[in-house]
Amino acid sequence: MMVPVRCFTCGKVVGEHWEPFEARVEDGEDPADVLDDLGVDRHCCRRMLVSHSDLVDIVAPYQ
Amino acid sequence: MSAAYDVAFIDRDDRDARFLVRGITPAFANGIRRAMVADVPTLSIDTVRVVENSSVMFDEQIGHRLGMVPLSAPPNEFESGKGVRLALDVSGPDTAYSGDLVSSDAVVEPAEDNVPIIELKEGQRLEVEAETVLDTGKSHAKHQGGVAVGYRHLQTVEVVGDREEFADEEPNILRGVIEDDGELVPAEEFDHDLTNRYPGKEVAVEDVPNAFVFHVETDGSLTVEELVTAAVDSLEARANELKEAVQL
Repeated sequence: MMVPVRCFTCGKVVGEHWEPFEARVEDGEDPADVLDDLGVDRHCCRRMLVSHSDLVDIVAPYQ
Repeated sequence: MSAAYDVAFIDRDDRDARFLVRGITPAFANGIRRAMVADVPTLSIDTVRVVENSSVMFDEQIGHRLGMVPLSAPPNEFESGKGVRLALDVSGPDTAYSGDLVSSDAVVEPAEDNVPIIELKEGQRLEVEAETVLDTGKSHAKHQGGVAVGYRHLQTVEVVGDREEFADEEPNILRGVIEDDGELVPAEEFDHDLTNRYPGKEVAVEDVPNAFVFHVETDGSLTVEELVTAAVDSLEARANELKEAVQL
């Protein structure tokens, strides 16, 4: 559904990085470089963004 | 323990810092770490009254997401269990962000303004009132001010000889901070590889006794300085409590 607010493992707030991350990867930047630039350093936090998929658009018609 | 201790910063930022502490025991270092994680209270949303929620998420999910948003407040402003009221009212098509939370008391505000809470489509609306509570990381991880707090020994590197002429060129990986002639060198400076700093040398790495390099990161509800001092204060308060309790 929506991106988790915090990293499940360490508790760092990662939600605010999702929109810039998605937009920049869409523009063709390397996801690893984008995460480094956003300051998401630990691999626990990185997987939160890398493995996320937004489902709001998919479930919205069935409200 | 009355021996002198000494603190030196290696990196210093509001939310992320590394500092060296000398002259403390491993038990005390771990005590500080644990106090930072579990004993420093922070403000978080705890109760949510949902006025209207026609979004694609359940009330409970929205409540959970709101609870995870870090709130910054001046230290010692609130008593344990007390807090303020926050309100959120967003109509679609729009995304409700943590920055849309309106506080009844101007000293409390979300530490991050751009955390998406829920994306709202045409005709959807989210209106909630939330009560915040001051509590510690012991009761819920959302009250944890410190994120991934840890420490390592300070290390020294000694050159013990030359590397054998035909030895394999293997990297010698090292993390943390080393001390070289009284100078503190973070391992990033030589790309975490001792062969970059001491090419062609055989080295021995040793821990410096009772010297710890803390790495402290906060979720934004407190600054590093506030978090560390509050943790040490809570340790001191507990030690005093024990001292009084066992007096004859």
